[in-house]
Amino acid sequence: MTNIIALILGVFFGFSLNKAGLTKYHKIVNVFRFTDLAVLKFMMTALVVAMSGLYALRGLGLIEFPNVPATYIVGNLVGGLIFGVGMALTGY
Amino acid sequence: MKFILNYIHKEEWSPYVAGILLGIVGIVAVWLSDSLLGASGAFENIAGMIGKVIAPAAFDNMYFNFIMPPGITWGVILLIGIFFGGMIGAATSRTLMWGKKGSASSDEQWKRIFGSQTWKRWLIAFVGAIVLEYAAGIAGGCTSGLAISGGMLLAPAAFLFIMGMFASGILTALIIYRNRY
Repeated sequence: MTNIIALILGVFFGFSLNKAGLTKYHKIVNVFRFTDLAVLKFMMTALVVAMSGLYALRGLGLIEFPNVPATYIVGNLVGGLIFGVGMALTGY
Repeated sequence: MKFILNYIHKEEWSPYVAGILLGIVGIVAVWLSDSLLGASGAFENIAGMIGKVIAPAAFDNMYFNFIMPPGITWGVILLIGIFFGGMIGAATSRTLMWGKKGSASSDEQWKRIFGSQTWKRWLIAFVGAIVLEYAAGIAGGCTSGLAISGGMLLAPAAFLFIMGMFASGILTALIIYRNRY
């Protein structure tokens, strides 16, 4: 059952990425050149919707949060710095 | 109804609409299976599985035993779904390039900057992907697994990661594009 849920969620995830244009090289690179901010709009909209939904559901007592990604200030920052290089190169 | 069908056939959605869809997917993932969306971890699970067979000694370490246990995890199934979801998205807008000529390197902007050779596109994609996966391993997630999924739980790690990602992304784009920036 969990596998079917994962598969369906994955399909919708991939579908939304494709429709937002995030599967294209120029969309990803242009956000770093400030000529097309679709990636930022997409990410931030998803964040806001999911944030408000999740905190509302937790407030109603319907869900519990899974393990929140751990904070290692140096690790997260350095990882992000290297990640950006790869992202601008490949357009992933 | 007709409006919705027409919208599905559109090649490029408003990022806000697509973002709302992803947000809902993120909520459902936590609600129904108590998991976070993520793509990079799945590659490590698969790599761990292959590595345990080929070189068990090299893969017998903390990272592959406890942090990223090998196996067909929830994330691997999700990744398969992402692949097909992307294909369905392209098919509905009739831009699916599967097996067509020029499908291996089709981005116009890429060709303007790097030239039209296909091997170059594949080489840079391969090297860049190694950089990406390594960085995701250090940070504990990628754009979807850490920035979006962590961000929606208001994890500080996610925002540190986004800061780093944009700082170096902008710098790299500056170097690649130089005077065309």
